[in-house]
Parts: sequence; structure tokens; C-alpha cells
Amino acid sequence: MNIANQPLLKLENITKRFKELTAVNGINLAVASGEKLVIIGPSGSGKSTLLRSINLLEEIDEGTIRFEGREVGYVLHNGRRQQDRPQAISALRAEIGMVFQHFHLFPHMTVLGNVMEGPLTVQRKPADEARSIATDMLAKVGLSDKRDVFPATLSGGQKQRVAIARAVAMRPKMMLFDEPTSALDPELVGEVFDTIHTLADEGMTMIIVTHHMGFARELADRVIFMESGNFLAEGTPEELFGAAQDNERIRGFLNRLL
Amino acid sequence: MKYPCGRVFVTLLFLWALAGTCFGAADYDLLFRHSSDLMAQGDLDGALALLKQVPTPAASEDASAFVSSRMQAGRIYASQNATDKAIAACQEVLKLFPDNSEARNFVAALRDQLKPRWHTILSDILRFLPVLAKGALMTLLLVFCTMLVSPLGGLLIALGRISRVRPVSGLCWFIIWFFRGTPLLLQLFFIYYGLPSLGITLSPFLSAVIGLGLNYSAYLGEIIRGAIQSIEHGQMEAAKAIGMSYGQAMRRIIIPQTYKRLMPPVGNEFIALIKDTALVSTIAMVELMRAADQMFNTYFNITALVLAAAIYLVLTTIFTFIFEKIEYRAGIYEHR
Repeated sequence: MNIANQPLLKLENITKRFKELTAVNGINLAVASGEKLVIIGPSGSGKSTLLRSINLLEEIDEGTIRFEGREVGYVLHNGRRQQDRPQAISALRAEIGMVFQHFHLFPHMTVLGNVMEGPLTVQRKPADEARSIATDMLAKVGLSDKRDVFPATLSGGQKQRVAIARAVAMRPKMMLFDEPTSALDPELVGEVFDTIHTLADEGMTMIIVTHHMGFARELADRVIFMESGNFLAEGTPEELFGAAQDNERIRGFLNRLL
Repeated sequence: MKYPCGRVFVTLLFLWALAGTCFGAADYDLLFRHSSDLMAQGDLDGALALLKQVPTPAASEDASAFVSSRMQAGRIYASQNATDKAIAACQEVLKLFPDNSEARNFVAALRDQLKPRWHTILSDILRFLPVLAKGALMTLLLVFCTMLVSPLGGLLIALGRISRVRPVSGLCWFIIWFFRGTPLLLQLFFIYYGLPSLGITLSPFLSAVIGLGLNYSAYLGEIIRGAIQSIEHGQMEAAKAIGMSYGQAMRRIIIPQTYKRLMPPVGNEFIALIKDTALVSTIAMVELMRAADQMFNTYFNITALVLAAAIYLVLTTIFTFIFEKIEYRAGIYEHR
């Protein structure tokens, strides 16, 4: 098998149910290294659940997740599928960065402390090295001057940029963005978008769940429209947003947003 | 209806006495007898009014009636706690007879009663303080030992309660259920008096620390569990998302954020602890309460108890102050 052609992430038949509700319904997806994938769709369509299933924050009911070709997250034990060892799960999460809608910065640590935390605690790097990595990351997101303040004093846009720096400081192989701008005031969306764009330009593989169509158009190699746990349509931004779009539901959704 | 009759009677008596004086017949026997009757009836004001009718004698006259009347008035005033007036009555006598020993002694005793309290209370305090201070030191030692043991025990119990391993959470639930559900006094009795029958004999101090430590671990366990579960769920997810294990996330992210929320209820518990240490006086520990009790029972002097209360208040005040400071510092990242 040609490693160059092997997708970085491959999802097979991913299914997640919450009691009666099937949030994700047998999804298949392959993401190539360096690809920028944007998932759009109405609220409750399973986008976030799918994203959270990838780094194992949700335990899926069916399906397999392959990362760099190896099956991750679940093992067969006496013929029954169960979650892998906690160490293995943590190791996978360390390789996949995640950015949340509500930032979830650590409020008791300074900005620098937040960004250092992964390299320091998870990768067990010496404090000096962790600090220099964090300093670089803060420079990259343009927040070097905020390194010693606590998150409570930051604006939403600044918080989200710190959260991105915190995730990237782990040098992940791919990034997941779960509605990274949905909790922000409109005038703060731009700075977060620019930060993500910079990362994309550096070749980072990423999956972005968003309601901002500007993102999808400018950044995406591929856009997926998701509804009720299924992929309804998939294509380049031009194909999905273009005049040729003939799916009524997608047209209606896009018209409501634009 | 005694009173108006008394008035009329007194008035008649007064006229009679006045007449007696006018006639120079200085016979006061009857006056003294009636004033005694009035006193027996409880009419002290009436008795005093009568006694005052005895005039200051001239130099040549017999002064015994005068001296008796003033001394009697002094005693009545003293019985009313009107010490100043009592002294004034005696000094009328002393003005004429500076050597009158009865009046002098009475004034001295009255003066003693005037300053008395401060003097005796101070000497009581000085007598009790060393004993109570020693007891207070033992109280503090017990408090500190419990403060060292119980947060650790409480954290273990809290983490155990949250644990998904059923036997662990069940055991921790049982510990909380038992130690919160039975009196501390009973737990102390059981450890000190009950365990020896199982072959485990502990010193009073060790029994006290174990009893207080277990009891407060159970209470703090519930408080810590509540604080951990009050931390927003996203914090645990964010920690896991950068690859932290459950233990790392707890140690580095979740537990440090509970400190600020823990301080008010934990401060409360530790202040309750200072007072709860009084219970170990029942298992042969001499701490502040026991020391105060011993002093009280030896001298029947309530100052020992008041002093103990004051020491408890000083201790709780200091602790309150310290915990307010710690609470502020623990939450400093929210103020800046």
C-alpha cells in the first residue's frame, strides 16, 4: 500500500446514539494529510458529535476510526468491542488538537501557562523548552504581550486564539475546530479566522465545523453538508455554494445563513 | 395597703420625735424600734427617713444615738448596693469621731467592694490563664493535626465517591454515611473505650486525632466532591483534548480550581472543628474545655469559663481572618 496515498484519518461506519436519537448515522469519511475539510449543517445535525467522536471525547456505538492507518480508540475484548486503555486514548488525543466553541481555557493559569501545559505535563518536556514552545505559539497567534495575564482579562477572540495556541503547542498532526467562532461577537470573528488561516497555510490538516460560510469558501478543499447524522452532500466550495447547487434543502439552509 | 398606713405612722412618729427633741428628752429607743419594724416590713426608705431624724449632736451631748443611726443607715444603703451613700453615712460619723473603728472598718469594707471586682477578676485571670493557655495549646495541636489529616482523607473520599469503580465509591459512600450520621461524641467513645475490647488500645491523643480526623474527612469529602463536580465539564474535556490522563487533569486542572470554592465551607468546618475539640475532654484529654472545667470545679469561679470562651473566640477569629485571606489569594486569577 502506498503510504503517500493513505488518508491521515479514515472513518468507517461511525454511529453514535443518544438513547432514541441517532446523532451520527454510519458515517464514512477519509481525510488526506494537509486537507482542509469544512462541515456545515443545521444545529443538531451531528457535526459536533462526529468531531468529538474522532478524538474519543464521545464513545461511538459502531464503526472504526483509523488514524495514520492504525485502528484507534477501541479494542475487542472477549469478542466485545470496548474502549482502549486510557493511555492509548490520551496518546491519540495528544496527536489531534481540538478547539472548542467556548474556549475552555484553564482560568487558574496565565496565558503562557495554558499554552505550556500540554508540552509540560503531557509530553513531559523540561519547563524551559515548554516555555519557549509556548512563547513561539503565542507569537504566532499574535498574543505575545498577553503571556502573563489570566484568561479572565481577555476578549473572546483573544481567548480563542490562546486556545488555538494551546492545541498547536502539542504539534498535533491534525486539528479539529468545533464551531470556533460561534461564541464570539461578530467583530472578533476575523482575528480568529486569520489565525486558523495561518495554520492552514502551514499545511495543517483540519476539520472545521462552522456556521460561517466565509470560512468554507475561503479555506476549504472540501465541504460536507450534514443533516440528521448523515452526509447529504459533499464537494468543493464551488460545487456546494455555486449556482449549480440543485438540492433544495442545502439551498434553503445557505439562503438562511447568507 | 400597708404603705399609706406606714406613712401616717411615720409622720406621727416624726412629730413625736420632734417633740422629744424639743423637750431635750433625747430618747431614741422608740425611733430605732420603729425603724427596725419598717425594715422588717421592707419599707427601707421609711426606715432611712426615720434614722435621718437623729440630729448631729453638739459637742457636749451624748452621741451614741447619732452614731447608731448613721451606721444603721449605712447598712441599709449597703444592702441596696448604694455603696456611695453608705460610705457618706459612715463619714458623717467619722467627721465627729475619726477614731470610730466600726465606721472605719465599714468604710474600708465598702471601698473594697467598690474596686473589688476588677482586682479579684484580674487575679483570677492571672491564676487561670497559665492552665487555660496550656489547654488552648493542646486544642490548637488537635486542630492542626486534624487539619493535616482531614483534607487528605477528604480528597481521597471525594475522588472515591466520583470513581466509577463501584466497590470504591460504595466504600466511600459508607464512610460518609457512617461518620456524618453518628455523633462525634459516640465515635470518640467507640475509639477510646470500645476499641480496647477488640485488642486495640490507643492513647487519648491518638484516639482524639483519629476520631476528629475521620469525622472531618467525611464532611470535607462531601464538600470537596461538590467543589470538583461544580467545575465546568469543559475543563475536563479541554484537559483530555490535549492528551492529559484523568489523574493529570484532576491534579493540574480540576483540583486547583476548586481551592477558591472550597475555602468558605472548609473555613466553616475548621471553625466548627475548633469548638468540636471540646468533645475530646470526655476521653481524658486535657484541652481548653477540660482545663476550664477543672478550674471551675476547683474554685467555683465562673471567670474560668468566661476566659475559656474568650480564648475560643480569639482562636475562631484568627482562623476566620486567615481563611478570608486564603480565599482571596486562591481566587486571585479572577480579580486580575
